[in-house]
Amino acid sequence: MTAMFRAVLFSQWKWSRLVVVLGTVAAFAIPLLSLQGAARVDRGALQAQELLRAVQSWGTLYPLLATALGLLMAIAAWAADHRGRHIHALTLPLERWRYVLLRFGAGFVLLAAPIAAVLIGSSLAVLTATLPTGLQAYPIALAARFAFAAFVAYALFFAVSAGTARTAGIILATIAALVLVQVVASIANIDLDLLSAAQTVLLLGPGPLAIFTGRWMLVDV
Amino acid sequence: MSDAIQIERLHYRAGKNFEIKDLDLHVPSGSIYGFLGPNGSGKTTTIRLILGLLRPLSGRIMVLGDPMPEQHARILGRVGYVPEQPHLDATLTVRELIDFQAAFYPQWDRAQAEELVQRFELDGERLFGRLSKGQKAKLMILLALAQRGDLLVLDEPTDGLDPVVRRDILSALLTYVSERGATIFISSHLVHELERVCDWVAVMDDGRLITEAPMEKLKHGTKRLVVMGAPAEIVNPPFRILTRESANGGGAGENWVVGDWEPGMTSYFEGVGASVREVIDLDLEDGFVELLRSFRERRGGARR
Amino acid sequence: MFHGIDPRSPIPLYVQIAERVRLAIATGTLGSAAPLPSVRQLSAELRVNPATITQAYRDLEAQGFVEIRHGAGTFVRELAPGRRARERSQHAVALVRKLLAEARRSGVSLAELQRALETELGAKTT
Repeated sequence: MTAMFRAVLFSQWKWSRLVVVLGTVAAFAIPLLSLQGAARVDRGALQAQELLRAVQSWGTLYPLLATALGLLMAIAAWAADHRGRHIHALTLPLERWRYVLLRFGAGFVLLAAPIAAVLIGSSLAVLTATLPTGLQAYPIALAARFAFAAFVAYALFFAVSAGTARTAGIILATIAALVLVQVVASIANIDLDLLSAAQTVLLLGPGPLAIFTGRWMLVDV
Repeated sequence: MSDAIQIERLHYRAGKNFEIKDLDLHVPSGSIYGFLGPNGSGKTTTIRLILGLLRPLSGRIMVLGDPMPEQHARILGRVGYVPEQPHLDATLTVRELIDFQAAFYPQWDRAQAEELVQRFELDGERLFGRLSKGQKAKLMILLALAQRGDLLVLDEPTDGLDPVVRRDILSALLTYVSERGATIFISSHLVHELERVCDWVAVMDDGRLITEAPMEKLKHGTKRLVVMGAPAEIVNPPFRILTRESANGGGAGENWVVGDWEPGMTSYFEGVGASVREVIDLDLEDGFVELLRSFRERRGGARR
Repeated sequence: MFHGIDPRSPIPLYVQIAERVRLAIATGTLGSAAPLPSVRQLSAELRVNPATITQAYRDLEAQGFVEIRHGAGTFVRELAPGRRARERSQHAVALVRKLLAEARRSGVSLAELQRALETELGAKTT
């Protein structure tokens, strides 16, 4: 089984390495960018408010990155299989569910890189910053939340992607469009929270998807 | 275990027009079994059913002694498969595809894989998508052989390949059979190629099995006869009448094509007051064409 | 030696292969104790079922021309002195029969055939 997992991991790495690398770079950069104003020496109450606003604003990128990573990794895991009409995987000497599990696990392992990048990036950002009094940093909590969000996103999209090509394609394309619109809105500072809107629309209530909503604060009171 | 593949009363349907019905197939262990039929006759579908890629509506499929599709994981560990269309990922290299495959088969023969890479002159670092058609086929055969399976299932493995590549592939397959005593199930419409290597042959058309016989029997048992004075009704002949038509130019002569012919059967004709003026040998391709023709005529007649 | 084996011919492949070996033995191309190609090698070379080769070799062994030594291969036997000559003359007769049948089929008369033979033989000796 380990030999099989290594083989699956290698192929999955080859297919998703661009996504993993870019995602890791982004995951490293966001916390640093969110605290870029905090290295200034003079501080006051106003500075604290400004800082929190910056952190919150940049913080909206975390759930987006987690969703994007989950989506793209899920697609990468199955694209080749869909292209070959599943024949190769179906003629390997193991049950389909076992193979699906191997691919799922491989994605999990690869997600460790961007998750670690969030942890390292936010720890570094906090170390090099001098925080105004009254504010605390939560790098570990942030990284843990990011990890959970990434895994949930990956699991959801993986389930879709492992199915038939057609349904997978339609669903994934729709979600990709949503993510893109949200990213553009965030950058242009347009107040748009599609993810929570989508959540209420889907009526999924409290659950793993709740992890995506709310504020993502590296630094907070 | 006497049969590598055993199919009984198989029934499968896809869409409105395609149906496989009452299929009975027995592939003896250690044989090279040819599966002949025109395009669209159901050869690829049958192969997919044998490998558990499709499920039948009813009937029984046993592969290497285990039922398919229930035991498909165990069976596939012993079966090397080469599909009609290249099914491997275009973005992986030759070397990477070999290493990937090796991880799934505990009895993988690394030395054999290496030797075949050399023999087939494959570039290990080349992406699968960049290989020529012949090279792709060679790699797929390599993977099936290095796996050391007891059964090889090949779906038109040499179709569309140039003669040099075809020879290389056939030689590699025959070497494997000589060394391991494996069973080979090979579907093709290249009759001449199968003629040299198969000991058994089955012919399929329109989802039905027309015949299943040892190659020698089919090859040498199909004859063209020039018959004089035969009665209109033929009762219980020892051979199979495939077609029967009047010869050009009238007279009392007729051209018959028969199957399951054995020397000495001319005496049958004398028994019914007829005579055989000539017995003409037919090669496998002609025999195959006549078989199909007679089968289609009979089916067409039955449908009406 | 095995050039031109015809799978389409009504003569079964194993018979054709055995014939070629017998002829090679008769004409001395394959000497006594010479090894025959292995089943594996010959089957890959001729692209013919290994069972066919095995059958040809078995027939040859039954006819007394070769000896199959398990694990070592198949080897030509020491033949009784008249045997080779007998094989050659049998082959000659078969050739003549084929020639006569072909002549008959194409409408060439015996006299014409004889004249052609003499011309050809004469041409060879000059």
